[in-house]
Amino acid sequence: MAWLVARGRPTTTAGLLVVAVVITSLVTSSPRDDVAVSLAFAVAIVGVSTLTVRGLRDAHPVFARAALTVVVLDAALFATYFFSSITNFNLAIGAAMSITLLGLSFLTGASGQISLGNSAFMGVGALSVAIWANHHSSTPMAVTLLIAVACGTLVGLLLGLPATRLRGPYLAGMTLAFAVAFTAIVNSFTSWTGGDAGLQLPTAVTPPHWLSSFFNAQTSLLTVNTMWLADITIVVTGVAFFFMANLFASRTGRAMRLVRDNEVAAELVGVSLPRARVIAFMVSSAYAALGGGLWTLINNSVQPPTFSLALSITILSLVVIGGIGTISGALIGGVIYAYSNNVISWFTQHTGINQQGNLASQLPGIIFGGLLILTMLFAPMGIAGAVRRLWARRRVQTGA
Amino acid sequence: MDAFLTSRIISDILGGLTNGVIYGLVALSLVLVWRSTGILNFAQGAMPMIATYLGMVVFAHRLGYWPLVVISIVAGFGVGGVTERVLVRHLYGKPEINPIVVMVGFLIVLEGVAAAIWSTTPRGIPNPFSPIDWQLGGKPLALSPFSVYEIVTALVVMTGVAVLFRFTRLGLQLRASALAPEVSRLLGVRVSRMLTLGWVLSTGVGTICTVLVASNFFTGLTPQVMDGIFAFGFIAAAVGGLDSPVGAIVAGVSIGIVLQFVGDFVNSNAIIITALIILIVSLMVRPNGLFTKSTARRV
Repeated sequence: MAWLVARGRPTTTAGLLVVAVVITSLVTSSPRDDVAVSLAFAVAIVGVSTLTVRGLRDAHPVFARAALTVVVLDAALFATYFFSSITNFNLAIGAAMSITLLGLSFLTGASGQISLGNSAFMGVGALSVAIWANHHSSTPMAVTLLIAVACGTLVGLLLGLPATRLRGPYLAGMTLAFAVAFTAIVNSFTSWTGGDAGLQLPTAVTPPHWLSSFFNAQTSLLTVNTMWLADITIVVTGVAFFFMANLFASRTGRAMRLVRDNEVAAELVGVSLPRARVIAFMVSSAYAALGGGLWTLINNSVQPPTFSLALSITILSLVVIGGIGTISGALIGGVIYAYSNNVISWFTQHTGINQQGNLASQLPGIIFGGLLILTMLFAPMGIAGAVRRLWARRRVQTGA
Repeated sequence: MDAFLTSRIISDILGGLTNGVIYGLVALSLVLVWRSTGILNFAQGAMPMIATYLGMVVFAHRLGYWPLVVISIVAGFGVGGVTERVLVRHLYGKPEINPIVVMVGFLIVLEGVAAAIWSTTPRGIPNPFSPIDWQLGGKPLALSPFSVYEIVTALVVMTGVAVLFRFTRLGLQLRASALAPEVSRLLGVRVSRMLTLGWVLSTGVGTICTVLVASNFFTGLTPQVMDGIFAFGFIAAAVGGLDSPVGAIVAGVSIGIVLQFVGDFVNSNAIIITALIILIVSLMVRPNGLFTKSTARRV
């Protein structure tokens, strides 16, 4: 703390503390809430003050990213405490999706490859979690998730090896074929995968005892469980984003961007093209598998037909709309995915389109497809890129 | 002789040939677009699907089968031309993922619009060819009037495309503008028109293929009728080489026959898995176009 006061901005920190105390006294109604709210604010204030330290982002970029992750996680976890269980469920689904999006964003944005098979990699992760949990139900959840990631990476390696020699259209077609074949592959091993019907988890993920007892007796079990799931997903998402942000900025990430922009130049400075491509492909499938594995935990079951080509196309749309190759774009895409159904059904209600009609059921596809085309034609870097450009223009105009 | 012709192996070859010519047609339409504009058209199944629906709606139940076929093909030409002029034109010279993404978006928009207007219920197209297999000595020969119609039509289309490219002035212009656009322009070829024509032709071929698929008594026309067939058609085109029409057709027919054997002797799940393995292995052995392209690319 002393270091912060010395090098940071003490007035900002003090101001934040005062605001925090006021909000805490307004919001809370019981001593238990007091503890939670105070803790959340304390973490946020320390994190934000760390971020205000001058020169931190240049001198210790990893530390700065860690502080940013902690602040965002803190705010998100704090928010789940107040959300309804439906909102928390949507949030968890969207957060897990954003991990998958980040993987594809890295593949396309950093190394210039494109995949239409990421739904199948998600399916690999989702099924791995369910299969492992059904055979070894005592394994801790974190270990099961890591096993799912390992399976996803392995399948990514298998498909990535031929992919190293392929250029865009061929790779897109090959991964498309993988997405189409995924259901058939699952159905060939019915005794393991449960075929089209899928698998149930043997035991649902439940919050630890101290957390359940922390809540009032009136709070329903469902609310606490959903909140716990949302919190787990958010923490895993935070960690995944933190790693990816570092990877983007690392030597490997820079090498991959060079591969994307100019293959010949990359080879001349000693980057191995096949190596860079296969690593990008494996990272992308590992992230997809992690997202899929979290989906299994959230839904408590897995249905392989979910992971169809249509889902792959949705993943691609969200990455493009959010912004290819940007960290924030993947988050934006995840939020869009979590709430798109609500927004579209609100839209159909207010425009008087028949809810059970053909148009209403096809609207998501038409809207996503249309946005995909428009984004690619008019703002190829998506929402994140457009915002960044507006920001840069404003800074130029104000002379800052 | 009868016993031989109705044996399992001959049945599989005939059945595979019927499927294979369809894959070959899809592959051919992909190659036509690839050669003229260097774009892999992921909406190659959806654009002809729209054209077939249009043909069906306009004169569907009044004039019978043949007018429907003709109108669908004309609509296919139109859909191809308009798509190139309005959408694809903006994609030339962009990074290679841009056209992929846009055509994938176009695919789901078209399928969504078709399902919104015409619903996802399959619609049969009544046609004069019986789908019932001929009998030889009390056993079915895996060939019906309808499959002969499919095979003959496909062969006619393939020959027609070959004749157009080899022996006509227009075909020469098409090949020239794909090979050396600048030189062709200097020699008076309207290159931009040729690019449009490539898409027109390709969608026309695709529409003939879609009409054949949708006329099948057991399939009918649905918005997603070409999804699975597109995957096999792409695999055929990639195995044969996206630059080579002959390769596409040969690969399409061979893959059709191989997959028929796999489906018969293993099971139906193995079909698409085998296709995926064929694709991966053939791309690993010969990722064609890669090296020729990289030497020609400017640094």
